[in-house]
Amino acid sequence: MKAVELENVVKRFGRFKALDGVSFSVEKGESLALLGPNGAGKTTVVKLIGGLLKPTQGVVRVFGEVPWKNYEVRRKIGLVSHNTFLYDDLTAYENLRFYSKLYDADEGRAKELLEAFGLWERRHDLVRNFSRGMKQRLSIARALLHDPPLLILDEPTTGLDIEGQRDLMELVKGLRKTVIFTTHNVREVEELCEKMVVLRNGRVVYFGEVEGNVEKLYLSVTGNEVR
Amino acid sequence: MKFVEIAKKDLTIEFRTKGTLNLMILFALITSMMFSVTIPMSFAERIAPSLLWLVFLFVGMLGYGRAFLREVETETLDGLKMAPISPVSVLLGKVTYNVALMLLIEVIITPIFFGLFNLSVAKPLLMVGSMTLGNLSFVVVVSSLSILVIKSKMREMLLPVLIFPVVFPVITSTIVAVRMCMNGNVSGILSPLSLISGFTVLILLVACITFEHAFTD
Repeated sequence: MKAVELENVVKRFGRFKALDGVSFSVEKGESLALLGPNGAGKTTVVKLIGGLLKPTQGVVRVFGEVPWKNYEVRRKIGLVSHNTFLYDDLTAYENLRFYSKLYDADEGRAKELLEAFGLWERRHDLVRNFSRGMKQRLSIARALLHDPPLLILDEPTTGLDIEGQRDLMELVKGLRKTVIFTTHNVREVEELCEKMVVLRNGRVVYFGEVEGNVEKLYLSVTGNEVR
Repeated sequence: MKFVEIAKKDLTIEFRTKGTLNLMILFALITSMMFSVTIPMSFAERIAPSLLWLVFLFVGMLGYGRAFLREVETETLDGLKMAPISPVSVLLGKVTYNVALMLLIEVIITPIFFGLFNLSVAKPLLMVGSMTLGNLSFVVVVSSLSILVIKSKMREMLLPVLIFPVVFPVITSTIVAVRMCMNGNVSGILSPLSLISGFTVLILLVACITFEHAFTD
């Protein structure tokens, strides 16, 4: 069974076709990069895999299940997005505690992750008082609370300083999970991913191994330079 | 029991920020005082149930829809959508949170309102029960319908337009029941109370069936 499968997926928002016949798959334990210019449909793909959207046509399967229909399969997915999904008026600990209840995760895991991400000392502080980097670290802790086998990272380094970006890369490398990673950073793709999908105008223009010069490949299939 | 966690989370945030609750109480007080100043006392006894309900309607419109709107504003709704829980748990969590707000408002405003108009109630306990039932029904309607308007830019204006026609039978039945309690003539009170209860159950059932569609995508 594949970790993620998209078969001929079309997603429309009103008259706008955000995805047009997207197909690709991710094996268990694989790291896949999702690349594409702004508006190519990367976030729509992420939301479909996360069960936040349902496809207009085609099928999305995560570990053999349809994520927008099957709530239980969402236990197997952790999503780090531009939005942190954190409540500013709850403390770091309260946020993790709340999500651990929703996911039936052990509350001790919250402590473990807060310590691992260097936030234990600030656990009783409201999230609204956190820096962008701290919020992002807490958001990753939230996504890992239930120890999901699939981690989706939607431009996770946005807003992080160089050190934060490096720490995140190290963390992802050490996770040994199936990872889907949307990014504009070629270095991150070369460093972390075995396969990549390049989207352009809602269509897959490349799906294959990460090999050779990613920047050149990206330019040849999209006509755009990597930002 | 995931809905309890959602309600607890919302109450923690509300009691910490007091944004919605303070506004609701303040608005209820101002409206009650305006009614007491502008409406002659001799006339007030006849229309008091309607006035009190107007206060609750205004306040409810202001506050109950916020339960979902706040999730949109803080961009946390997707966090709930991604969780391995039924959308019905989210709905019930929001209803429970709003019921807690409603009870608080009712406990604070009702005695003040009756004090301002110097009204006497023949069956006070039954009146509180009738009002609570009516408010509960109102909360269920607002909580269920607010998910439909959260994506609209006109959501604050759209919500009352959607709610008033749906909630009309509850308003009229509760007014009838409260009037009966004030007069002490409660022999026929089962009829409006049954209507409110039946309506509440029906709305809650319809909401539970249709909420998933509204909540997903």
